[in-house]
Amino acid sequence: FKDDLSASPPQLFMPMNLYDVDLPIQTPEDALFSSQCNQPKELPVDFSSVDLSFLPDVTQDKEQNQSEDGHEKQEELDGSASRNEDSRILVGENSLYYPDETQRSLEASGTCQSLTSMTSMTPVTSASESTGIVPQLQNIVSTVNLACKLDLKSIALHARNAEYNPKRFAAVIMRIREPRTTALIFSSGKMVCTGAKSEEQSRLAARKYARVVQKLGFPAKFLDFKIQNMVGSCDVRFPIRLEGLVLTHQQFSSYEPELFPGLIYRMVKPRIVLLIFVSGKVVLTG
Amino acid sequence: MAYQLYRNTTLGNSLQESLDELIQSQQITPQLALQVLLQFDKAINSALAQRVRNRVNFRGSLNTYRFCDNVWTFVLNDVEFREVTELVKVDKVKIVACDGKSKYGN
Repeated sequence: FKDDLSASPPQLFMPMNLYDVDLPIQTPEDALFSSQCNQPKELPVDFSSVDLSFLPDVTQDKEQNQSEDGHEKQEELDGSASRNEDSRILVGENSLYYPDETQRSLEASGTCQSLTSMTSMTPVTSASESTGIVPQLQNIVSTVNLACKLDLKSIALHARNAEYNPKRFAAVIMRIREPRTTALIFSSGKMVCTGAKSEEQSRLAARKYARVVQKLGFPAKFLDFKIQNMVGSCDVRFPIRLEGLVLTHQQFSSYEPELFPGLIYRMVKPRIVLLIFVSGKVVLTG
Repeated sequence: MAYQLYRNTTLGNSLQESLDELIQSQQITPQLALQVLLQFDKAINSALAQRVRNRVNFRGSLNTYRFCDNVWTFVLNDVEFREVTELVKVDKVKIVACDGKSKYGN
């Protein structure tokens, strides 16, 4: 598993130390944004014009919004801890959409790369901010090392809800109901956990699987828990002209309607793949 | 070599108990009892495959499942077994199932 912590700004990487504290189960949005915002990160400074003509025009009073947002920001920062997370979300959005205010936002609260910056290339006329499109997490894939060799047959025989068919796949496939997840457990002691709807749920589920293995008599530990992939989806609520998008963003897009009805947009910064559909539904992964 | 799956059924258990009694009273050898059981395996597998035509449906909620050594084990709760003629309801049922299409089956 490559650890690319140093390489690129890991907007979606969850810092390990956050989870050493017991956190209550957060809603997906909270977990997503609060985890990111705890680490100050560099903002993408290059907002050079990328054509977003495929988005509908939204006319708004930019002046009015700037003052409103400044006011909101001040209120939020005085709030309680849980509200601070919200303020960082707002400030993050502000710094995205009003790059001239970037410095002020940065100093005020520490920067954060909010996930709504998926259209991060251009200062957009606050369309997303006013409609508040927030992608919903659908799936989290994580891995962890239990750090001991496992007897898969013994696990399959004694654990509940386990499948083991070594001829087809060399791992035990185990499932739990809460959080509803599936784990692939390998004889090396490494484990993959899929299906959770938030990072915290994924970690909790992985811990539950580790406990099952431990109770079966193996000296299981919980080393190097790492989120490998997160999938989210959202709806922009207007139809999208995919042909237009592939013309203007051809270096990022691949659209083969006879093969797959969605346009595959490989965004460079952040390194995310988006599946964009004519209906306006968008899937984000990577 | 047919599945020894059916030894733990009402019929199979009765047979095993009877054989054990005969062994106890020294009327048959354990080896003979083993041969009887092997013959029972063949007979019951063949009978179920060839002589049973009726169909039963069942529906319940899955409590647990397991798949190991190509054997499925399910535990279902609140199950309804439905045949054309009648309906049977049970709180809990354990199902042990082996592959019907393998060389051991028909």
